[in-house]
Amino acid sequence: MLADKAFFSEILPIVFYLIFLKRNRGEGLGVIFFYCCFSWLTEDFFFRQLHLPIPDYVHDSGFTILEFTIISYFTYTSLQGKTLKYLAILGALIFYPVAIINFTKEQESFDSIPASVEAIIIISYCILMLYEQINDPKVMFVYNTKKFWVTIAFFLYFSSTLFLFIYARNFTQAEHDKYWTINNFFEILKNILISISFVMKKSSKNPYPIEDLNPDI
Amino acid sequence: MILLEVTNPDSRVSLVLFFGTIGMLALTIGLIVFIIFHQRKVIRYQLRLQRMEQDQQKLLLNASIRLQEEERQRIAADLHDDAGPLLATARLYLNENLVNLDKTTQLQSIYNAKQIIDDTIQLIRNISHSLMPPTLKNFGLESAVNDLFQKISGSGSMNASSRFHDYRERLQAENELIIFRVIQELVNNILKHSNASFIHLTQNTSGNKFFIRLHHDGRGITQTDFNKLNKSNVGLGLKNIQSRLKVLHGQIFFEKDMSQTYYKVTIELIKDEMTMPESG
Repeated sequence: MLADKAFFSEILPIVFYLIFLKRNRGEGLGVIFFYCCFSWLTEDFFFRQLHLPIPDYVHDSGFTILEFTIISYFTYTSLQGKTLKYLAILGALIFYPVAIINFTKEQESFDSIPASVEAIIIISYCILMLYEQINDPKVMFVYNTKKFWVTIAFFLYFSSTLFLFIYARNFTQAEHDKYWTINNFFEILKNILISISFVMKKSSKNPYPIEDLNPDI
Repeated sequence: MILLEVTNPDSRVSLVLFFGTIGMLALTIGLIVFIIFHQRKVIRYQLRLQRMEQDQQKLLLNASIRLQEEERQRIAADLHDDAGPLLATARLYLNENLVNLDKTTQLQSIYNAKQIIDDTIQLIRNISHSLMPPTLKNFGLESAVNDLFQKISGSGSMNASSRFHDYRERLQAENELIIFRVIQELVNNILKHSNASFIHLTQNTSGNKFFIRLHHDGRGITQTDFNKLNKSNVGLGLKNIQSRLKVLHGQIFFEKDMSQTYYKVTIELIKDEMTMPESG
Protein backbone atom coordinates (compact mmCIF):
# COMPACT_ATOMS: atom_id res chain seq x y z
CA MET A 1 0.00 0.00 0.00
CA LEU A 2 2.75 2.40 1.05
CA ALA A 3 4.81 1.25 -1.95
CA ASP A 4 2.06 2.45 -4.29
CA LYS A 5 1.85 5.75 -2.47
CA ALA A 6 5.63 6.11 -2.74
CA PHE A 7 5.39 5.39 -6.45
CA PHE A 8 2.72 8.00 -7.02
CA SER A 9 4.44 10.52 -4.73
CA GLU A 10 7.27 10.55 -7.25
CA ILE A 11 4.95 12.24 -9.74
CA LEU A 12 4.37 15.18 -7.33
CA PRO A 13 7.71 17.00 -7.81
CA ILE A 14 7.57 16.44 -11.58
CA VAL A 15 4.12 17.99 -11.78
CA PHE A 16 5.00 20.90 -9.49
CA TYR A 17 8.21 21.62 -11.36
CA LEU A 18 6.32 21.85 -14.63
CA ILE A 19 3.52 23.97 -13.12
CA PHE A 20 5.96 26.41 -11.49
CA LEU A 21 8.54 26.30 -14.24
CA LYS A 22 9.06 30.07 -14.11
CA ARG A 23 9.85 30.04 -10.39
CA ASN A 24 12.40 27.27 -10.80
CA ARG A 25 14.22 28.64 -13.79
CA GLY A 26 17.77 29.74 -13.10
CA GLU A 27 17.80 28.13 -9.67
CA GLY A 28 19.88 25.12 -10.69
CA LEU A 29 16.97 22.74 -9.99
CA GLY A 30 16.69 21.33 -13.52
CA VAL A 31 18.98 18.53 -12.48
CA ILE A 32 16.67 17.65 -9.58
CA PHE A 33 13.72 17.60 -11.96
CA PHE A 34 15.70 15.23 -14.16
CA TYR A 35 16.46 13.11 -11.08
CA CYS A 36 12.76 12.93 -10.19
CA CYS A 37 11.82 11.86 -13.74
CA PHE A 38 14.58 9.28 -13.85
CA SER A 39 13.74 7.97 -10.39
CA TRP A 40 10.07 7.61 -11.32
CA LEU A 41 10.73 5.91 -14.65
CA THR A 42 13.09 3.35 -13.13
CA GLU A 43 10.60 2.26 -10.47
CA ASP A 44 9.98 -1.49 -10.11
CA PHE A 45 6.39 -0.86 -11.17
CA PHE A 46 7.40 -0.06 -14.74
CA PHE A 47 9.87 -2.89 -14.88
CA ARG A 48 7.25 -5.38 -13.81
CA GLN A 49 4.70 -4.00 -16.26
CA LEU A 50 7.05 -3.83 -19.20
CA HIS A 51 8.71 -7.23 -18.51
CA LEU A 52 12.10 -5.81 -19.47
CA PRO A 53 14.83 -8.46 -19.63
CA ILE A 54 17.11 -6.57 -17.24
CA PRO A 55 18.50 -8.47 -14.24
CA ASP A 56 17.73 -7.02 -10.83
CA TYR A 57 21.36 -6.33 -9.97
CA VAL A 58 21.85 -4.34 -13.19
CA HIS A 59 18.73 -2.33 -12.47
CA ASP A 60 19.69 -1.64 -8.84
CA SER A 61 23.37 -0.92 -9.46
CA GLY A 62 22.62 1.20 -12.51
CA PHE A 63 20.10 3.19 -10.53
CA THR A 64 22.54 3.72 -7.63
CA ILE A 65 25.33 4.91 -9.95
CA LEU A 66 23.09 7.27 -11.90
CA GLU A 67 21.41 8.58 -8.76
CA PHE A 68 24.79 9.30 -7.20
CA THR A 69 26.01 10.97 -10.41
CA ILE A 70 23.00 13.30 -10.55
CA ILE A 71 23.16 14.25 -6.87
CA SER A 72 26.93 14.75 -7.08
CA TYR A 73 26.49 17.02 -10.08
CA PHE A 74 23.83 18.99 -8.18
CA THR A 75 26.15 19.26 -5.17
CA TYR A 76 29.13 20.27 -7.28
CA THR A 77 27.19 23.01 -9.06
CA SER A 78 25.56 24.23 -5.83
CA LEU A 79 28.76 24.54 -3.81
CA GLN A 80 30.62 27.82 -4.20
CA GLY A 81 33.79 27.21 -2.20
CA LYS A 82 36.73 25.71 -4.07
CA THR A 83 37.72 23.42 -1.19
CA LEU A 84 34.17 22.15 -0.81
CA LYS A 85 34.04 21.45 -4.55
CA TYR A 86 37.21 19.37 -4.18
CA LEU A 87 35.54 17.43 -1.37
CA ALA A 88 32.61 16.71 -3.70
CA ILE A 89 35.04 15.36 -6.30
CA LEU A 90 36.75 13.29 -3.62
CA GLY A 91 33.37 11.75 -2.74
CA ALA A 92 32.89 10.74 -6.37
CA LEU A 93 36.41 9.28 -6.48
CA ILE A 94 35.55 7.10 -3.50
CA PHE A 95 32.15 6.01 -4.76
CA TYR A 96 32.79 5.02 -8.40
CA PRO A 97 35.49 2.38 -7.76
CA VAL A 98 33.33 0.81 -5.05
CA ALA A 99 30.26 0.78 -7.32
CA ILE A 100 32.12 -0.57 -10.36
CA ILE A 101 33.92 -3.30 -8.42
CA ASN A 102 30.66 -4.31 -6.78
CA PHE A 103 28.89 -4.31 -10.15
CA THR A 104 31.47 -6.54 -11.83
CA LYS A 105 32.18 -8.92 -8.96
CA GLU A 106 29.15 -9.18 -6.72
CA GLN A 107 26.06 -9.72 -8.75
CA GLU A 108 23.70 -9.85 -5.82
CA SER A 109 20.02 -9.00 -5.59
CA PHE A 110 20.62 -5.67 -3.84
CA ASP A 111 23.81 -3.57 -4.07
CA SER A 112 24.10 -2.94 -0.35
CA ILE A 113 27.72 -1.78 -0.34
CA PRO A 114 27.49 0.90 -3.10
CA ALA A 115 24.08 2.02 -1.80
CA SER A 116 25.47 2.44 1.74
CA VAL A 117 28.60 4.21 0.51
CA GLU A 118 26.39 6.42 -1.65
CA ALA A 119 24.19 7.23 1.36
CA ILE A 120 27.19 8.15 3.52
CA ILE A 121 28.73 10.33 0.80
CA ILE A 122 25.43 12.08 0.04
CA ILE A 123 24.86 12.72 3.77
CA SER A 124 28.33 14.34 3.78
CA TYR A 125 27.40 16.38 0.69
CA CYS A 126 24.25 17.57 2.44
CA ILE A 127 26.25 18.66 5.49
CA LEU A 128 28.65 20.56 3.19
CA MET A 129 25.78 22.27 1.39
CA LEU A 130 24.06 23.22 4.65
CA TYR A 131 27.35 24.51 6.03
CA GLU A 132 27.80 26.70 2.97
CA GLN A 133 24.19 27.88 2.99
CA ILE A 134 24.34 29.08 6.60
CA ASN A 135 27.62 30.85 5.90
CA ASP A 136 26.28 32.68 2.87
CA PRO A 137 25.78 36.30 3.96
CA LYS A 138 23.40 36.92 1.05
CA VAL A 139 20.87 34.45 2.45
CA MET A 140 18.63 36.07 5.05
CA PHE A 141 16.77 32.91 6.11
CA VAL A 142 18.23 29.61 5.00
CA TYR A 143 14.80 27.94 4.88
CA ASN A 144 13.64 30.51 2.33
CA THR A 145 15.91 29.04 -0.30
CA LYS A 146 14.91 26.25 -2.65
CA LYS A 147 18.21 24.44 -2.35
CA PHE A 148 17.80 24.15 1.42
CA TRP A 149 14.65 22.05 1.01
CA VAL A 150 16.25 19.84 -1.64
CA THR A 151 19.24 19.31 0.65
CA ILE A 152 16.99 18.49 3.59
CA ALA A 153 15.04 16.02 1.43
CA PHE A 154 18.18 14.08 0.51
CA PHE A 155 19.62 14.43 3.99
CA LEU A 156 16.54 12.93 5.65
CA TYR A 157 16.07 10.22 3.03
CA PHE A 158 19.63 8.95 2.99
CA SER A 159 20.22 9.12 6.73
CA SER A 160 16.99 7.22 7.40
CA THR A 161 17.65 4.52 4.84
CA LEU A 162 21.37 4.06 5.54
CA PHE A 163 20.93 1.16 7.96
CA LEU A 164 18.23 -0.32 5.77
CA PHE A 165 20.60 -0.37 2.79
CA ILE A 166 23.39 -1.89 4.87
CA TYR A 167 21.21 -4.86 5.83
CA ALA A 168 19.16 -5.09 2.62
CA ARG A 169 21.23 -7.74 0.86
CA ASN A 170 20.73 -10.20 3.74
CA PHE A 171 16.96 -9.75 3.86
CA THR A 172 14.63 -12.60 3.00
CA GLN A 173 11.70 -11.62 0.77
CA ALA A 174 9.44 -11.43 3.84
CA GLU A 175 11.92 -9.18 5.67
CA HIS A 176 12.35 -7.06 2.57
CA ASP A 177 8.61 -6.52 2.29
CA LYS A 178 8.39 -5.70 5.98
CA TYR A 179 11.31 -3.33 6.33
CA TRP A 180 11.04 -1.67 2.95
CA THR A 181 8.23 0.45 4.39
CA ILE A 182 11.01 2.60 5.90
CA ASN A 183 12.32 3.34 2.41
CA ASN A 184 8.82 3.98 1.07
CA PHE A 185 7.90 6.30 3.92
CA PHE A 186 11.04 8.42 3.58
CA GLU A 187 10.74 8.40 -0.19
CA ILE A 188 7.31 10.00 0.18
CA LEU A 189 8.79 12.53 2.61
CA LYS A 190 11.66 13.25 0.20
CA ASN A 191 9.23 13.84 -2.67
CA ILE A 192 7.09 16.15 -0.53
CA LEU A 193 10.15 18.19 0.47
CA ILE A 194 11.37 18.43 -3.12
CA SER A 195 7.84 19.49 -4.13
CA ILE A 196 7.95 22.24 -1.47
CA SER A 197 11.20 23.42 -2.99
CA PHE A 198 9.65 23.53 -6.47
CA VAL A 199 6.49 25.31 -5.28
CA MET A 200 8.14 28.01 -3.13
CA LYS A 201 8.88 31.44 -4.54
CA LYS A 202 12.37 32.53 -5.43
CA SER A 203 14.24 33.62 -2.30
CA SER A 204 14.89 37.30 -1.74
CA LYS A 205 18.45 38.28 -0.98
CA ASN A 206 19.51 39.51 2.45
CA PRO A 207 19.34 43.32 2.32
CA TYR A 208 21.89 43.59 5.14
CA PRO A 209 24.65 41.09 4.46
CA ILE A 210 27.18 41.20 7.26
CA GLU A 211 30.04 41.89 4.82
CA ASP A 212 28.46 45.29 3.99
CA LEU A 213 28.03 46.34 7.59
CA ASN A 214 30.82 48.91 7.53
CA PRO A 215 29.77 51.44 4.91
CA ASP A 216 31.80 54.59 4.38
CA ILE A 217 30.35 57.80 5.65
CA MET B 1 5.11 -4.40 13.06
CA ILE B 2 8.74 -3.28 13.18
CA LEU B 3 8.31 -2.29 16.81
CA LEU B 4 7.11 -5.79 17.64
CA GLU B 5 10.19 -7.22 15.94
CA VAL B 6 12.40 -4.96 17.98
CA THR B 7 10.99 -6.30 21.26
CA ASN B 8 11.95 -9.82 20.17
CA PRO B 9 15.42 -10.41 21.72
CA ASP B 10 16.39 -12.89 18.98
CA SER B 11 15.98 -10.37 16.22
CA ARG B 12 19.36 -8.62 16.36
CA VAL B 13 19.13 -7.25 12.81
CA SER B 14 15.83 -5.54 13.37
CA LEU B 15 17.10 -4.07 16.64
CA VAL B 16 20.16 -2.54 14.96
CA LEU B 17 18.07 -1.44 12.00
CA PHE B 18 15.47 0.15 14.24
CA PHE B 19 17.84 2.00 16.52
CA GLY B 20 20.23 2.82 13.68
CA THR B 21 17.48 4.40 11.64
CA ILE B 22 15.99 6.22 14.62
CA GLY B 23 19.45 7.42 15.65
CA MET B 24 20.28 8.71 12.18
CA LEU B 25 16.91 10.37 11.91
CA ALA B 26 17.30 12.02 15.30
CA LEU B 27 20.77 13.24 14.36
CA THR B 28 19.53 14.63 11.07
CA ILE B 29 16.54 16.39 12.57
CA GLY B 30 18.71 17.67 15.42
CA LEU B 31 21.20 19.08 12.94
CA ILE B 32 18.48 20.75 10.88
CA VAL B 33 16.88 22.29 13.97
CA PHE B 34 20.29 23.45 15.17
CA ILE B 35 21.03 25.06 11.79
CA ILE B 36 17.71 26.90 11.77
CA PHE B 37 18.06 28.19 15.33
CA HIS B 38 21.71 29.06 14.86
CA GLN B 39 20.87 31.04 11.75
CA ARG B 40 18.11 32.90 13.54
CA LYS B 41 20.58 33.78 16.28
CA VAL B 42 23.14 34.99 13.74
CA ILE B 43 20.51 37.14 12.02
CA ARG B 44 19.43 38.68 15.33
CA TYR B 45 23.07 39.45 16.08
CA GLN B 46 23.52 40.85 12.57
CA LEU B 47 20.54 43.16 12.98
CA ARG B 48 21.73 44.31 16.40
CA LEU B 49 25.12 45.10 14.93
CA GLN B 50 23.44 46.96 12.10
CA ARG B 51 21.43 49.05 14.57
CA MET B 52 24.54 49.82 16.64
CA GLU B 53 26.39 50.85 13.51
CA GLN B 54 23.53 53.11 12.48
CA ASP B 55 23.43 54.72 15.94
CA GLN B 56 27.17 55.30 15.80
CA GLN B 57 26.87 56.81 12.32
CA LYS B 58 24.12 59.08 13.57
CA LEU B 59 26.25 60.26 16.49
CA LEU B 60 29.19 60.98 14.20
CA LEU B 61 27.01 62.79 11.71
CA ASN B 62 25.45 64.90 14.46
CA ALA B 63 28.89 65.72 15.81
CA SER B 64 30.09 66.71 12.38
CA ILE B 65 27.04 68.91 11.76
CA ARG B 66 27.36 70.56 15.17
CA LEU B 67 31.03 71.20 14.59
CA GLN B 68 30.33 72.73 11.22
CA GLU B 69 27.71 74.99 12.78
CA GLU B 70 30.09 76.01 15.55
CA GLU B 71 32.75 76.82 12.96
CA ARG B 72 30.26 78.94 11.01
CA GLN B 73 29.22 80.73 14.20
CA ARG B 74 32.87 81.41 15.02
CA ILE B 75 33.53 82.85 11.56
CA ALA B 76 30.30 84.87 11.74
CA ALA B 77 31.32 86.19 15.17
CA ASP B 78 34.83 87.05 13.96
CA LEU B 79 33.46 88.94 10.98
CA HIS B 80 30.69 90.63 12.94
CA ASP B 81 32.64 91.54 16.08
CA ASP B 82 36.06 92.33 14.56
CA ALA B 83 35.81 93.12 10.88
CA GLY B 84 32.44 94.88 11.20
CA PRO B 85 33.49 97.57 13.76
CA LEU B 86 36.82 98.10 11.99
CA LEU B 87 35.14 98.77 8.66
CA ALA B 88 32.53 100.95 10.35
CA THR B 89 35.31 103.02 11.94
CA ALA B 90 37.10 103.33 8.61
CA ARG B 91 33.84 104.54 7.09
CA LEU B 92 33.57 107.19 9.82
CA TYR B 93 37.01 108.51 8.90
CA LEU B 94 36.03 108.63 5.26
CA ASN B 95 32.64 110.32 5.65
CA GLU B 96 31.17 112.92 3.26
CA ASN B 97 32.28 115.76 5.49
CA LEU B 98 35.94 114.93 4.84
CA VAL B 99 36.10 117.25 1.78
CA ASN B 100 35.13 120.20 3.94
CA LEU B 101 37.94 119.61 6.43
CA ASP B 102 41.40 121.15 6.26
CA LYS B 103 44.22 119.38 4.42
CA THR B 104 46.04 118.07 7.56
CA THR B 105 42.88 116.59 9.07
CA GLN B 106 42.03 115.04 5.71
CA LEU B 107 45.46 113.37 5.49
CA GLN B 108 45.22 112.21 9.09
CA SER B 109 41.74 110.70 8.45
CA ILE B 110 42.93 108.94 5.30
CA TYR B 111 45.98 107.60 7.13
CA ASN B 112 43.80 106.30 9.99
CA ALA B 113 41.34 104.74 7.56
CA LYS B 114 44.23 103.06 5.73
CA GLN B 115 45.55 101.69 9.03
CA ILE B 116 42.13 100.29 9.88
CA ILE B 117 41.71 98.75 6.43
CA ASP B 118 45.15 97.12 6.77
CA ASP B 119 44.08 95.68 10.13
CA THR B 120 40.90 94.40 8.54
CA ILE B 121 42.86 92.76 5.71
CA GLN B 122 45.09 91.08 8.30
CA LEU B 123 42.05 89.95 10.28
CA ILE B 124 40.38 88.46 7.21
CA ARG B 125 43.65 86.79 6.25
CA ASN B 126 43.82 85.23 9.72
CA ILE B 127 40.26 83.93 9.39
CA SER B 128 41.10 82.55 5.97
CA HIS B 129 44.26 80.90 7.29
CA SER B 130 42.36 79.28 10.11
CA LEU B 131 40.04 77.77 7.50
CA MET B 132 42.81 76.53 5.26
CA PRO B 133 46.39 77.04 6.44
CA PRO B 134 48.47 78.30 3.49
CA THR B 135 51.51 76.35 4.66
CA LEU B 136 49.52 73.16 4.39
CA LYS B 137 48.29 74.04 0.93
CA ASN B 138 51.66 75.14 -0.41
CA PHE B 139 54.22 73.04 1.46
CA GLY B 140 52.34 70.03 2.80
CA LEU B 141 51.52 68.35 6.06
CA GLU B 142 55.05 68.27 7.48
CA SER B 143 55.54 72.03 7.14
CA ALA B 144 52.03 72.78 8.43
CA VAL B 145 52.52 70.62 11.52
CA ASN B 146 55.98 72.08 12.16
CA ASP B 147 54.49 75.55 11.80
CA LEU B 148 51.69 74.74 14.23
CA PHE B 149 54.11 73.28 16.78
CA GLN B 150 56.49 76.25 16.46
CA LYS B 151 53.59 78.60 17.21
CA ILE B 152 52.69 76.57 20.30
CA SER B 153 56.29 76.52 21.46
CA GLY B 154 56.62 80.23 20.68
CA SER B 155 53.73 81.02 23.02
CA GLY B 156 55.90 79.74 25.88
CA SER B 157 53.13 77.76 27.51
CA MET B 158 54.31 74.37 26.29
CA ASN B 159 57.27 72.74 24.62
CA ALA B 160 56.07 71.30 21.30
CA SER B 161 58.18 69.46 18.76
CA SER B 162 57.51 67.33 15.72
CA ARG B 163 59.55 65.04 13.54
CA PHE B 164 58.59 63.43 10.25
CA HIS B 165 60.80 60.40 9.59
CA ASP B 166 59.42 59.20 6.29
CA TYR B 167 57.48 61.83 4.41
CA ARG B 168 59.21 62.12 1.06
CA GLU B 169 56.04 62.04 -0.99
CA ARG B 170 53.11 64.34 -0.27
CA LEU B 171 49.68 62.81 0.28
CA GLN B 172 46.60 63.95 -1.58
CA ALA B 173 45.72 67.52 -0.58
CA GLU B 174 42.31 66.65 0.90
CA ASN B 175 43.81 63.77 2.89
CA GLU B 176 46.55 66.04 4.23
CA LEU B 177 43.88 68.47 5.36
CA ILE B 178 41.95 65.72 7.14
CA ILE B 179 45.08 64.52 8.96
CA PHE B 180 46.03 68.08 9.83
CA ARG B 181 42.57 68.74 11.28
CA VAL B 182 42.81 65.57 13.36
CA ILE B 183 46.23 66.62 14.68
CA GLN B 184 44.90 70.14 15.35
CA GLU B 185 41.96 68.72 17.29
CA LEU B 186 44.20 66.41 19.32
CA VAL B 187 46.66 69.21 20.09
CA ASN B 188 43.78 71.48 20.98
CA ASN B 189 42.46 68.88 23.42
CA ILE B 190 45.91 68.47 24.98
CA LEU B 191 46.25 72.24 25.36
CA LYS B 192 42.80 72.58 26.88
CA HIS B 193 42.53 69.56 29.15
CA SER B 194 45.86 67.88 29.86
CA ASN B 195 48.09 70.42 31.66
CA ALA B 196 51.00 68.90 29.77
CA SER B 197 54.42 70.53 29.68
CA PHE B 198 55.40 69.02 26.34
CA ILE B 199 53.94 67.48 23.20
CA HIS B 200 56.02 65.49 20.80
CA LEU B 201 54.77 64.30 17.41
CA THR B 202 56.47 61.68 15.27
CA GLN B 203 55.58 60.36 11.85
CA ASN B 204 56.79 57.14 10.29
CA THR B 205 55.70 54.36 7.98
CA SER B 206 55.83 50.61 8.17
CA GLY B 207 54.95 48.66 5.05
CA ASN B 208 51.64 49.96 3.82
CA LYS B 209 50.86 51.69 7.11
CA PHE B 210 51.33 55.37 7.87
CA PHE B 211 51.66 56.27 11.55
CA ILE B 212 51.43 59.53 13.45
CA ARG B 213 52.17 59.38 17.16
CA LEU B 214 51.64 62.07 19.74
CA HIS B 215 53.21 61.91 23.21
CA HIS B 216 52.47 64.23 26.06
CA ASP B 217 53.10 64.22 29.80
CA GLY B 218 49.77 65.59 30.93
CA ARG B 219 46.41 64.06 31.82
CA GLY B 220 45.15 61.97 28.92
CA ILE B 221 42.59 59.39 27.99
CA THR B 222 42.84 55.68 27.23
CA GLN B 223 41.08 53.67 24.54
CA THR B 224 38.32 52.70 26.98
CA ASP B 225 37.65 56.36 27.76
CA PHE B 226 37.68 57.16 24.05
CA ASN B 227 35.18 54.40 23.23
CA LYS B 228 32.97 55.52 26.11
CA LEU B 229 33.06 59.16 25.03
CA ASN B 230 32.38 58.14 21.44
CA LYS B 231 29.18 56.39 22.44
CA SER B 232 27.96 59.21 24.66
CA ASN B 233 26.61 62.58 23.67
CA VAL B 234 29.67 64.44 24.93
CA GLY B 235 33.13 64.52 23.36
CA LEU B 236 32.21 66.36 20.19
CA GLY B 237 35.84 66.83 19.13
CA LEU B 238 36.64 63.13 19.55
CA LYS B 239 33.62 62.16 17.46
CA ASN B 240 34.80 64.57 14.84
CA ILE B 241 38.24 62.92 14.85
CA GLN B 242 36.57 59.54 14.49
CA SER B 243 34.40 60.63 11.58
CA ARG B 244 37.34 62.27 9.79
CA LEU B 245 39.48 59.14 10.18
CA LYS B 246 36.65 56.96 8.96
CA VAL B 247 36.83 58.77 5.62
CA LEU B 248 40.47 57.65 5.35
CA HIS B 249 39.70 54.16 6.73
CA GLY B 250 42.09 55.05 9.52
CA GLN B 251 42.17 54.12 13.18
CA ILE B 252 43.14 55.92 16.36
CA PHE B 253 44.45 54.42 19.58
CA PHE B 254 44.76 56.13 22.92
CA GLU B 255 47.04 54.53 25.49
CA LYS B 256 49.48 55.11 28.32
CA ASP B 257 53.03 54.25 27.38
CA MET B 258 54.97 51.36 28.95
CA SER B 259 56.48 53.53 31.68
CA GLN B 260 52.98 54.76 32.61
CA THR B 261 54.33 58.32 32.53
CA TYR B 262 53.22 59.56 29.15
CA TYR B 263 50.04 59.35 27.19
CA LYS B 264 50.34 58.21 23.63
CA VAL B 265 47.92 58.75 20.73
CA THR B 266 48.54 56.72 17.59
CA ILE B 267 46.88 57.45 14.27
CA GLU B 268 47.14 54.52 11.90
CA LEU B 269 46.36 55.05 8.22
CA ILE B 270 46.68 53.04 5.02
CA LYS B 271 49.28 54.64 2.77
CA ASP B 272 47.89 53.49 -0.60
CA GLU B 273 44.45 54.90 0.09
CA MET B 274 45.87 58.35 0.83
CA THR B 275 48.25 58.67 -2.08
CA MET B 276 46.07 57.23 -4.84
CA PRO B 277 43.37 59.46 -6.36
CA GLU B 278 39.89 58.51 -5.15
CA SER B 279 37.78 56.52 -7.60
CA GLY B 280 34.09 57.41 -7.97
